[in-house]
Amino acid sequence: MPERMKLDEEAFDRLFREGAADVHGYAISLLGDRAAAEDVTALAFERLYRARARLDRGRGAPRAWLFAIARNAALDELRRRSRQPQSELPEEMHDGGNTGEDAFEQLARRATVRDALAALPLREREVVLLKFHGQLSNSELAKALDVSESNAGTRLHRALTRLREKCNELDDREEVA
Amino acid sequence: MRVIPFPGGSGTGPDESWLTEIEAALDGTGEGPRADSWRELRDDVRTLAPPISPEFERELGERIAEWSARSATKRSAPKGSTPRQPRRRWGWPRRPGRPALAGVSVACAVIAAVLIAAPWRPAGHTVESSPRSPSAAARADRLGPAFDQAENAPVAGASGAKASSKGAEVAASGAAGSSAATNAPAASGATSAPGRVQQLGASITLTATPEEVQTVADRVSRLTTSEGGFVRSSHVDEGEKTGEATFTLSLPSAKLSDTLASLGQLAPVRAESQSLQDITNTYDAARQRVADATAERQALLRALSKATTEGQIDSLRERLAQNGGAIARARAALGTVSRQASTAEVEVTVVGDKNANSEGLTLHRGLHDAGRVLTVTLVVLLIAAAVLVPLALVAIALATARRAWRRHRRERVLGG
Repeated sequence: MPERMKLDEEAFDRLFREGAADVHGYAISLLGDRAAAEDVTALAFERLYRARARLDRGRGAPRAWLFAIARNAALDELRRRSRQPQSELPEEMHDGGNTGEDAFEQLARRATVRDALAALPLREREVVLLKFHGQLSNSELAKALDVSESNAGTRLHRALTRLREKCNELDDREEVA
Repeated sequence: MRVIPFPGGSGTGPDESWLTEIEAALDGTGEGPRADSWRELRDDVRTLAPPISPEFERELGERIAEWSARSATKRSAPKGSTPRQPRRRWGWPRRPGRPALAGVSVACAVIAAVLIAAPWRPAGHTVESSPRSPSAAARADRLGPAFDQAENAPVAGASGAKASSKGAEVAASGAAGSSAATNAPAASGATSAPGRVQQLGASITLTATPEEVQTVADRVSRLTTSEGGFVRSSHVDEGEKTGEATFTLSLPSAKLSDTLASLGQLAPVRAESQSLQDITNTYDAARQRVADATAERQALLRALSKATTEGQIDSLRERLAQNGGAIARARAALGTVSRQASTAEVEVTVVGDKNANSEGLTLHRGLHDAGRVLTVTLVVLLIAAAVLVPLALVAIALATARRAWRRHRRERVLGG
């Protein structure tokens, strides 16, 4: 029998305050569409709220549940729209208020990461987004992806390796230029 | 300028240390340039996403507060007074709740179980048990299928050609009760012999409180009439503490089992017995006498037509007159035998007993009834399980397949 845990109102409210921006960030990065990302975010919280009384502790913390639901909703949204997300990630970026040479370097690095991320296959990009936006442990990532932990580790490793290679390629191209 | 000094990996797949390293780096416990680079990458990826709109965040927060408030109201409100929920703004129509589905499933299973269980009831048992007549079912068991055949198997159909011819002859003879010249059924579980003529009889003793004796007696009379019989004799004796009514009923043999069952529902049955007497020989003898007399009459008529002298004619006419009387007597005898076969005599005794009402509340009867209830319950549960388990297996298989299909469709969106 799986161990159940009840997510009370207070814990759910805390999860919303701490996780809404992350879910939204994951969704908008994957879907490339603010309206769709908001729909997915709302749907994820609504589904989690409805299921809060029967959460399975074996499937990780509520945050992992939230991202598993958000992932399913996002993939459903992609499938429903029957089109691929925008090939380019959103252009708007934050410089964190830095100025000067550091800020420029930071912007350049982020642009490289953005381009490298956009060049990744959707399956690998999704793993990176889920890992970084969800801030999930490897086991929670496996649960969210509905695969074994070793499989999740392999996919994460492959995605990050590919991301590194893309970034290096872009760096080399920039240096040559 | 290389701006992203990523930490390296094994190249083909992650080893445990690689996974541990990235885990430690991202949760803040890892230190060093490699850990810093992982954290920097994470922050860069997270920063790429446009921030959540404050309006949307506020609106969603309000909506969650509304859900909480509605949930609290639902918990505190009496059952059934929960206000109707507004239409969902996102997502798909709400599916029926699991309790509702479970309820529908159980109801379907119970209906199916009842439908399946119905044919299990013994085919011959048309007598329904009554709370006031606990022995009704037992009596039906004792009577066996033969009694029910009485009403379902008319004389000719059940008794073969011989019986048919007998019935026809009885009808031709003008005797009453041509419909029951033979009786296929036999009482008390006796084997019915096709073509035999049998006389049925029964006696039943009912108990009632002294003040109810008259009421039960009236019901016995009415029941007898409604079943096509008549009360041959009756005697009712009422007293303050005791009372008794006795009846001799004449009933159509074919309705004997029905009538006994109905009598058993009027009051608790204390005793009951059935009897059967084979009167085939008597019937055959009476029939033969009619046939002989009829043949003699025809011979006399032929002789009369050939008589030439006055003396012969007078003698033949006298013999014809005697023969006519013999035919009438033979037919009357046959009619009497036929009536015996077509009617059953039932002795009914209603005994007044002040403890009659408590008679059915004995420990033995209680245990017996409890056992029956438990048996029926177990049978229904068994049948329900036989229906539900395969349904559950199919449902699980379908749910698994549906989940796998949905997962496949989702993964297909990601390509590969």
